[in-house]
Formats: sequence, structure tokens, C-alpha cells
Amino acid sequence: MERKPSAVLIVALILWTFGVAGTVILPLFDQEINSATASGELRNYPEDSAEARGREIYIQNGCQTCHTQFVRALPADTNQNLGPVTKGGDYKYDLPHLLGSNRTGPDLMWVGLKYNEDWQRQHLIDPQSTSPGTIMPSFDYLSNQELDDLVAYLMSLKPTEERLEEYKKELEEAKLTERN
Amino acid sequence: MFTDEKWSSSKNWFIAAVFWIIIGMSMGLLTATKQIWPELLNNRWTTYGHVRSAHVMLVIYAWLSMAYVGSMFYMIPKLAKTKVYSEKLGNFALVFYNIVILEGFFALLFGQTEVIEYGEFPLWVDVQLLVAIGLVAYNLFKTVGRRKEKMLYVSLWYFLGSLLWLPLTWIVGNFPAQWIPSGVQQGLMGWFLGHNAIGLWMTTVGVGQIYYLLPKLTGRPLYSHQLSMIGFWAIATFYVWNGPHHLMNGPIPGWISKAGVIPSIVLLIPVWAVLANFWGTMKGSWSQTRTSVPLRFTVAGTIFYLFACLQGPLQALPSVSSVIKFTHWTVGHAHMGPFGAFSFTSFAAIYYILPKIVGREMFSKRAMEAHFWFSTVGFLVFAFSLWIAGVVQGFAWIEGVPFLQTVLMMEPYVQGRAIGGTMMYVAQFFLAWNMYKTIKLAKLEKKQQAQQQAATA
Repeated sequence: MERKPSAVLIVALILWTFGVAGTVILPLFDQEINSATASGELRNYPEDSAEARGREIYIQNGCQTCHTQFVRALPADTNQNLGPVTKGGDYKYDLPHLLGSNRTGPDLMWVGLKYNEDWQRQHLIDPQSTSPGTIMPSFDYLSNQELDDLVAYLMSLKPTEERLEEYKKELEEAKLTERN
Repeated sequence: MFTDEKWSSSKNWFIAAVFWIIIGMSMGLLTATKQIWPELLNNRWTTYGHVRSAHVMLVIYAWLSMAYVGSMFYMIPKLAKTKVYSEKLGNFALVFYNIVILEGFFALLFGQTEVIEYGEFPLWVDVQLLVAIGLVAYNLFKTVGRRKEKMLYVSLWYFLGSLLWLPLTWIVGNFPAQWIPSGVQQGLMGWFLGHNAIGLWMTTVGVGQIYYLLPKLTGRPLYSHQLSMIGFWAIATFYVWNGPHHLMNGPIPGWISKAGVIPSIVLLIPVWAVLANFWGTMKGSWSQTRTSVPLRFTVAGTIFYLFACLQGPLQALPSVSSVIKFTHWTVGHAHMGPFGAFSFTSFAAIYYILPKIVGREMFSKRAMEAHFWFSTVGFLVFAFSLWIAGVVQGFAWIEGVPFLQTVLMMEPYVQGRAIGGTMMYVAQFFLAWNMYKTIKLAKLEKKQQAQQQAATA
């Protein structure tokens, strides 16, 4: 092989293919990530709805570079009160995915639970007025229509009632065990 | 227009690379500054998200990739004892590649993005970039095909592998999203690209560069050919599986998580094989780093590579990840390979190769020294700010400190990052100026020589 580039290339290709098979092809057959949860269904926005347009504006403005949509079953997330831990099926209709990799700002997976529309709008136009000291830039350059759509999208980011109840129960139990 | 002058491809790819490091790093500096003054240059085009994306894509696919191609257009023919298959094609690919990068840059500033990290250009740019990479790979494969030296030196293995893997990985990561199941599945494909752009392109070409440079710069043979083989095949086997660790502790089934995390930890094997080899080669030559700036850049690169590769497997442990994921630490780590390790080896490659192909020493040794020290000290300030910030931030989240308060806590570290970043940025002007002077003087000297010869003839 030390004299044959073609042999190097063939083995390199085979090893690469194994990696693709394991981490890209096999997951296609996993139901856990490929069937939607009830909360995931809520994100199946009809085409050209305010929420769907708002999602586009979210992406175009790079919101995903600072905000994750990724809640883990870990103290770092549960203690930040981020809401229910997310499951693969919650993202079934996310295209492209907005899981994110950095929390320059807080996680937004269930942000629709936390504030009302007026707050969201005010926060986008003048972040300092709602969150003094924040390093979020102002999005006052967006048109009224764009702001409406973006707020509609943010408000739509919430779990079903059932999921929320489940989550609250879990929190109670966790508190009880902590006390004991 | 497209010259077939000897070594012109190598030289021109280097010139373009250094142009883009300035643009790419100014985007980075702007990103860092915006975290201090959020309203700085805040508008529809240069809002934080756009500038950050542009920074990442430019430093990787414009600066580092072009510097890599420049190196390969010199190293591959040298190792194959032949000339470049087609300098004309090399120069054509360069112009094409630069147009594509420019398109991608503006697309990002206008808000077009695929969201996939390390693959943010929109699809219409991706397709063109694939063609451009393909032209480069074709040219270099052809060069190897015409080799006169039968033995394949280890750098060639790395270069051949990388030139095969990059286009393939690029296809998987940028596969038209509407054709695949969305959500987490698309996330896995995206991270396949995100991690392997680093593992099977940045790392493998960078390591190949070091294997070429160390023996040349020290004048000593490679410590162990066997060890370099082990390193190569171990990277090829395990790196490909690393994507899923980016979604660890998250919405992926346990088996995928294990399939991603275990290979990430096993990566310690190739890393040590590679490093033992580097430092074995250096034995008895360490003192040369005092006088030779290219050697010093290479050695510093290997040390940063060690840092990066200690962090990597450590971060792949779920417990460690649960503290530092999503924090500033990740940003610090993400700069370790591309800047600390592989930009440094590319600087060394430029300083080693450029004098050989223009026929004259680098214009200023002092500028090289300044480039080295500003880069190194700046990077240390930058990286340590982010690492400390990340750990503080991670534990504050675990404590349940309100998020906004953790942002305020980060202020001094973010400023430290910007100061270090400014030094890293300033350093590159020494490189650009030195290159400009060297190439200009080389041309002048050649002209004078020709005139003298004409006069004496």
C-alpha cells in the first residue's frame, strides 16, 4: 500500500462510509427521533402562516447563533428553569433544525410560556428596556409585519398542556426527594 | 490570463489566503466587540448573527482552506518528484473558488443561511464550492498520478485522504434539507459536516503539513514511519464517528450518543501517535526554535494541537460536557484547532515555501517575530479568557443564577477575549506586509538580474 495511492484512497473511502452508515444512515430508522411528539406537532406550521414566516425571520437574523432550543436533563438546564426536557420527536418538523451550540442568550425552546406578546415585541425593539445589561442587539430595523411574525413564532414555542403538567409533577417530585 | 508559470498556483493561493485572513478575522473582531457594545454596526446586514457566521465560514473555507491548498500545490509535487499537473487549472480554480467565497460571504450578510455550522452557505453556493474543491482535488490527484517517486511519504497519505474526504463530507452535510427527514436527523447530518470539516480536512491537512515541515526545518528524518501510519489509520477510522457528540445529553437516543462519544475518546490514540512522532523528530533540535520562526510556528502549532486534543476527548465525557457545553469554553476550544494548531502550521508553511518559490528570503525577520509573538500572546489571552469564562458560566447555570446575571458576570472575560483577539488580528498585518514586500522585491530583483544579464551578454 505504501506505493499505491489508489489503495489508500479506497480504504479511506471505506472507513469514511462506515462512519456515515453509523452516524447518519442508521439513525434514519430510529423511531425516537423520526416520529413527532404532541408538542412536536405544534411546530408543524401551515405554510405561509405568521409562525412559519416568523421562523424564517428568526433564521435570517441569525437568532440561532446566540440562542439554543435544546433542553437537557441536567442541573445546568433544570436549575435555569428552561421547561420540559426535549425529546427527539419535538423537533420532527424543524427544518432546518435550530438546536444551536451556544448560549450567548438564554434557551428559547419553550420561550412562549414565559412572556406575553407585548414583552416580546418590546424586547426585540429595545432589549435594554426589558432586560437591563443584556448584550442582545436591537432589532428595531425590522418592519412591523416582520416583528408581528417573529413574535407569533416566539409565542408558538411552547409544549402541550399535558407535557407541561407532566413537567410540573416531575419538578414537585424532585423537590420532595430533595427534602427527604 | 491563467499563467502556467512554475509554482504560480501555490503562490497565488497563499496570497488570496492572506487577504482572506484579514477579512475573516476582522469579522471575528467585530463579533467579539459586539458582545461589549451590542449596538455597534447593528443593522439588517451586519447584525451579530450574520457577522459571526461570516467569520466562521471565512476563516475556515477562505483563509485556512486556501492556505492548505497553497501548501499542497507545493508539497505534493515536491514529494512526488514531479511538477503540478496543471498550473493553469490551479490558477483557474483559485479565481473560481474566490468568486464562490465572495458569493457566500455576501449571502450570509444578506441573511441567507443554511444554519448548519461550518456549512452555513446556502445551497446554491455549496454546489459551486463543491465544483471548485473538485477541480483542486482532480489537479492534485493527477499530480500524484504522474509521480516519479514511488514511495508515498506520510504527508501524501494525509493529503490524498483529505482531498477525498472534504468533498464527500461536504455533500453529506449540505444534502438538500427538503430531501431528508427534518429535525434531529438533519442535525446529525449537519454535525457530521461540522465535526468532519475539522477532523477530516483541517486536522488531516494540518498534520500532513507538520509531517512535511518538521524534517525539512530541522534537517532530521521523521522519527517513525510506523507510528505515522498508525496515526493516519486511527484518525480515518475514528474521527468520522464524532458528529453525534455535539447532541450529547440531548434529544438523541442513547445508542447514537455512545456511537459518537466512544470514538471521540478513542481519538486519544491517534493524537498521541501523531504527537510522539512530532516530538521524537524534534529531539535534539529544540534549540533551533530560537532562531527559526517557521520552526517555532510549527512547534507552537503542535503544542496547541496537544491542548486541543486533550480538551476534545475530555469534553466528549458526558459529565464534563454537562458543565461546559453552550458556554464560552466551546468558543475557546473551537479556536484551538483552526487558529492555534493549524493556522500556525500554515504560517510556517508560508514562511518556508514562499522564499523557495519566489527565489528570495522573507523581507523582514523582525516582522516574522512580531507575527509570532502577537499571534501567540494574543491567542493565549483570548483562549484563557474564554476557558475561564466558560467554567464560571457553566457552574453559575448549575447553581441556578438567573441568566441575565450570568451575562453580566461575563463582562471582564468578554473584554479579555476582545483584547487578545485584537492582538491576534494585528499580528496578521505583519504577515501580509512581509509577504507583499517579499514578492515585490523578488520581482524587482529578477528584473534587475535579467537586465544585467542582457547588458553583459
